[in-house]
Amino acid sequence: MTLNKTMTLLLAGAAVTLSASVAMAQTNLRVFVSSQHRPDVWRKAFDMYEAKNANVKVTIETGGNTSEQQAQYLNTVMTAKDSSLDVMILDVIRPAQYAAAGWTVPFNDTLGSDAANYMKRYLPAYAEANTVDGKVVALPAFADAMFLYYRKDLLDKHGIQPPQTWDELAAAAKKVTEAEKDPNLQGLSFQGKAIEGAVCTFLLPYWSMGKQLVSDGKLSFDKEAAVKSLKLWKDFVDQGVAKKNIAEVATDDTRKEFQAGNVLFAVNWSYAWGQFQGAESAVKDKVGVVKLPAVQGGQPASCLGGWEWGVSAYSNNKTEAQKFVQYLSSPEISEFMAINAALLPQFPEVYTDADVTKAVPWFANAKPVVETAKARPVTPRYNEVSEIIRTTVNGVLAGQSTPEEGATQMEGRLRRVLR
Amino acid sequence: MATVSETTLVTTGNESGTKWWTRFLDPSERTLAVLLLMPAALLLTLIIVYPVCRLVWTSFQNLSLTSGVPATFAGLENYTLMLEDPVFWETTWNTVLITLITVPGALFVGLALALMANLPFNVKWPVRLSLLIPWALPLSFAGLIFAWFFHSEYGVVNDVLRRLGFEGVIWFNSANWAFAAICLTIIWKTSSFMALIILAGLQTIPRSLYEAADVDGAGRIRQFFEITLPLLKPAIVVALIFRTITALQTFDIPFTMTRGGPGTSTATLAMYIHQNTVDFLDLGYGSALAVVMFALSMGVTAVYLRMIRAKR
Repeated sequence: MTLNKTMTLLLAGAAVTLSASVAMAQTNLRVFVSSQHRPDVWRKAFDMYEAKNANVKVTIETGGNTSEQQAQYLNTVMTAKDSSLDVMILDVIRPAQYAAAGWTVPFNDTLGSDAANYMKRYLPAYAEANTVDGKVVALPAFADAMFLYYRKDLLDKHGIQPPQTWDELAAAAKKVTEAEKDPNLQGLSFQGKAIEGAVCTFLLPYWSMGKQLVSDGKLSFDKEAAVKSLKLWKDFVDQGVAKKNIAEVATDDTRKEFQAGNVLFAVNWSYAWGQFQGAESAVKDKVGVVKLPAVQGGQPASCLGGWEWGVSAYSNNKTEAQKFVQYLSSPEISEFMAINAALLPQFPEVYTDADVTKAVPWFANAKPVVETAKARPVTPRYNEVSEIIRTTVNGVLAGQSTPEEGATQMEGRLRRVLR
Repeated sequence: MATVSETTLVTTGNESGTKWWTRFLDPSERTLAVLLLMPAALLLTLIIVYPVCRLVWTSFQNLSLTSGVPATFAGLENYTLMLEDPVFWETTWNTVLITLITVPGALFVGLALALMANLPFNVKWPVRLSLLIPWALPLSFAGLIFAWFFHSEYGVVNDVLRRLGFEGVIWFNSANWAFAAICLTIIWKTSSFMALIILAGLQTIPRSLYEAADVDGAGRIRQFFEITLPLLKPAIVVALIFRTITALQTFDIPFTMTRGGPGTSTATLAMYIHQNTVDFLDLGYGSALAVVMFALSMGVTAVYLRMIRAKR
């Protein structure tokens, strides 16, 4: 009883202090930023906001190395209804989940009746990823997509053009690795470990065959295409194009091995480019980047990435937080982050901005890839869908099950989740 | 004691003496026992009985924190889903297999370690300390360390194999090798705990028994089977109970070494529960899985307890 009373008094005290500080118009915003996305540069963008808004103080919080680890942390904060975070950066697959769970506040009140129009300024895929049932649940922070990186020097040496199809890639990889006789040189590196990246690994050829995984919230699984997709990757391993332990390879392993000069072709996100051009890179100025190959007779497809700013439903400063997010998700900041952190813009016109093309010339080629990249299935149960796909891909690549068995298991388990 | 509390209570309380608490004033030992047990019982209810009941109740509900809708009663739906869930069967089988391999494994290695540690060394502490270190190491640290040992390119295990002229194994790329690596790690980690308990048991065996056996002409091996082993039985059973229950709850080592991969081939039931509750926030299904694991642990404990009773 007394304990309860003390707690109530303390809480009331805290509430009074809080409302007093609001009355004095000093707002403290706590922002969660993924540690792999240049929090140091975001900090500068936050400083610029503080300079213009003397009543707002922004604190930055980072953590986790991967999208899954960050999701785990944010899950804990949100299920505890913790008010300590005001703004959080979310992987593009999560705004729909967070909205369904009631963890984010829609921007519609702030944006007014013009919300749909407001979203038109972004690339269409991001307007779509952040709108759930007509509600704007988050605003885009930056764009991303998967690309094919290749060793320009080696392709030039052997007179090969960047491949248009996966078959051409296999042939090119065999030709170059055989001629180079370097036991450390791998033909192709992609993500085979059971991580989020493996979901894209599966979807790239699947989408390239024109198939969808989910349409209108219902499973539209094409088993034949799934078998072909799994077989495509497994064949790369069996033919020696990819290395035998590809089932252990995560996104950053691909980046590191390519950067060390041990990989001819690599499937990776845009962040790798900046690292390849860094001082410690063995492949500086030897790298080319193009859109990913297609399956024979199919269209090239890339996986849509990117991150979004959401405002916590448990924040005590929702209005201030939303104003701050509108600032972060503006063309000016997009340009600033493109130039200073090489993050791809969520606005079409920023790609052709003179300052941007000067700082990161390859962004001009990246625009069509981002524009045509496909979004992973939008469902509140995405975590389960993702887990099913990535463990199956991992199991097939490790030779644990055949592509046919893998596709059957995947279908059975997906039906249970999306029933 | 009783008189003191009686007087204070009567003077401060009401005079009628017919209230329900008056029977606690009865100074009989039985009531005193109940009173003294009360705090412990209340605490246990709060931290064990209530959560377990709540868990069972949640297992009959549709409760997913990502759905945004409040919990609804689901009856046995979570359990019927479980029966059709191939991953549930796979993880349960993996858990049983880990138990069947690592419990006897740790027992044999632990017994050997204890017998060695019991040899008459001049300086005993280095032996005892090396027995304690694996036991004192957190499970997840052991998992992370061994994940590096078994790494296909940079690991010490493959390095040794290659130096001996064998080909290296890509341990975590195959279900069987990954499983073997996990079992070896668990045995390494847990045999020192077995050894410590068995060592304590060994030291209670009087030296005079061995002296008498020597006089009677019994050899070392005969002494071990006729004296050491029978007298060690109580210690071994205690060690087995603890080890089996923790084996059924195996989580840290496979989680840090393989995350259940390749595919789901090295995932355990505890990892599947964690995944459903923490990653998917599907508390209903996760609770149903936890109820099954609870039943499994209870069943095994009951068998062991029966074994001990039968022995007496």
